[in-house]
Amino acid sequence: MSTHHSTQSPTATAVATTPDPPADPAATPSPRLTPRRRLAELLAGDLRALPVVAGLTVLVLIFSLQSPFFLSSRNLSNLLVQAVVTGIIALGLVFVLLLGEIDLSVAAISGVCSVLMAKLMAEAGMSSVLAVVVAVVLGAVIGAFTGSWATRFLVPTFVVTLGLGLILNGVQLQLLPRTGRYNLLGTGIEDIAGSYVTGAASWLLVVLAVVVVAGLKLTHHQRKASHGIDSSVVKNVVLPVAVTAVAGVLVVSVLDANAGIPTPVVIFGVLLAITSYILTETRFGLSLYAVGGNAEAALRSGIKVNRVKIAAFALAGGLAALAGIIAASRLLGVSVSSGGGIGGGALLLNAIAAAVIGGVSLFGGRGRASSALLGALIIATVGNGLNLLGVSTDVQLLVTGALLVLAVTVDRSVERLSGSVGR
Amino acid sequence: MTTAQADHASAGPTGAGPILELRGISKTFGGVHALADVDLAIHPGEVVGLVGDNGAGKSTLVKTMSGILRPDGGEIRFKGSRVEMDGPNAAKKLGIQTVYQDLALCDNLDAVQNLFLGRELTGPRFLGSRIKRAESESRAREVLRKLRLDSISLTRPVGAMSGGQRQNIAIARSILWTPEVVLFDEPTAALSHTAAEQVGKLIRQLADDGLGVLVISHDIHQFVVEATDRIVVMRLGRVAAEFRSADVTGEQVVNAMVGGNKGVNSAR
Repeated sequence: MSTHHSTQSPTATAVATTPDPPADPAATPSPRLTPRRRLAELLAGDLRALPVVAGLTVLVLIFSLQSPFFLSSRNLSNLLVQAVVTGIIALGLVFVLLLGEIDLSVAAISGVCSVLMAKLMAEAGMSSVLAVVVAVVLGAVIGAFTGSWATRFLVPTFVVTLGLGLILNGVQLQLLPRTGRYNLLGTGIEDIAGSYVTGAASWLLVVLAVVVVAGLKLTHHQRKASHGIDSSVVKNVVLPVAVTAVAGVLVVSVLDANAGIPTPVVIFGVLLAITSYILTETRFGLSLYAVGGNAEAALRSGIKVNRVKIAAFALAGGLAALAGIIAASRLLGVSVSSGGGIGGGALLLNAIAAAVIGGVSLFGGRGRASSALLGALIIATVGNGLNLLGVSTDVQLLVTGALLVLAVTVDRSVERLSGSVGR
Repeated sequence: MTTAQADHASAGPTGAGPILELRGISKTFGGVHALADVDLAIHPGEVVGLVGDNGAGKSTLVKTMSGILRPDGGEIRFKGSRVEMDGPNAAKKLGIQTVYQDLALCDNLDAVQNLFLGRELTGPRFLGSRIKRAESESRAREVLRKLRLDSISLTRPVGAMSGGQRQNIAIARSILWTPEVVLFDEPTAALSHTAAEQVGKLIRQLADDGLGVLVISHDIHQFVVEATDRIVVMRLGRVAAEFRSADVTGEQVVNAMVGGNKGVNSAR
């Protein structure tokens, strides 16, 4: 929800000159906010991502000072790929969390769908492309099933997906052969994680991203202008386009110095862009926020709440399946531990943590697509950086857990100061 | 006290017939008669106050008029012809809007998003029904200006606003789609005195624009007697009395609510 923040000044002055008597000042006081409250509202709105970005910057600084290898092009490329699987699952979770629901089966979906894909290729001779499509569709169908069950029988999604996750773990074990593993070498699946977009093609992606952002921001700006709404070109068009361009050039020049943009990173980028469009621009996206904010009000206003829920879970399931396929491609095979192993393990916890660290509220109604990216980056940075320093897993868990609690604490404090909770 | 009685079936302040009329409405829940043979008329340009003790049937009656409950007996007439409403959307389509006591706002959304909730202005479906933000914003501004609520921010989440501002946004939403009747359920219950006064002015403005308005309120002395044209008193699921607001005191209304002064204030 990033684009529409302007108005106030010209409309307000225009009103003052109309013959109508002004609004009763006692009853509707114009918002005169203390600086502290204003800052809190900014942090709760436009600058929501600021604390997370600051935290990420601090982490990067610490690790780059500790290890000369951290900022190398090869390591950063590695770090991004490590963030992708968690990030895509987290991206799917954003849809569900916005509703105030949760899906504890996403890791299991990613596991079972990737195993099914491997089985279809290994035992049914299915082509890799078709197997991928079947796996992703299956993920979406499982998600839709969760949504339907929860809305039909009014069972909390927490419970439905907890049970479903265990069921899918069981199915995954049944699908695997006696060796417990399908090898994916030579199937073409390994090319997803093993290939790069490089040279001219990588720069074309940057241009594409800039054009898309510019197009969206320009239409907004023009429409506002044509409706007499104040809109600053610098803030609403030039700034976002410049940020996109600089970020794009930076990322691509770093990655091209290694081998190019890893294909999983490109996939994640495209999914992020689409999700961001859905959440900020479309009616469906707004419905997610509305249901998460006040389901009863959404229902009374005519929003088909159940359909919105089913769609959100289907998207989460489909994205989880896709993440599972990318994970399988990186590991060149599927096994018992695909999908984080029994119970989802670190994969499930990291995906939820990523979304929440990135600024998605577990109570619904608040969060962005970029939350999944930022959260996944933070978790991947902690893992990658501590690995480089030779710190063992136990400390990594301590740090990730502490960051999660810290992030949510900061978030809640901002909300409390801005007055948007406690009502 | 017969002068205090309004002859409810006749013309309202504008001289037109009733825009919304209930005839002999009854509704039972299990064995309980929530509404029994209720007649009520709302004319264009008038504000009708609906009062009564807890359990008198006020909310049930409003839910019947807003299409949430279907009456067991009697008929609802809109602009003179009988209508059947099979849900809240049917009532909205006719032009009957309801402002609920809980306001039904999404605290995490801004005023524009709340005003258009469920009926967003959107572009083509192949672009995912992209919301026309600028157009919505300018229409929202228009409606708020009409209600002289220019100071309300269109871009702050409504959860960060005061109770009065939230109430005003709920009212603005009810008139966004140019209804002919607006029903208010306890609009002033959670408001300070000044904010309640302002809501009273807004409600009067709606009536001055030719809408028929019905207001449920417990605030007899401060609000109902001051801000309405006609007061309908309900007791135990029936209409117990009707008054012209100008000719009645708060005490008389309260007496009718609790069943005192029978035969003096009672309309039937």
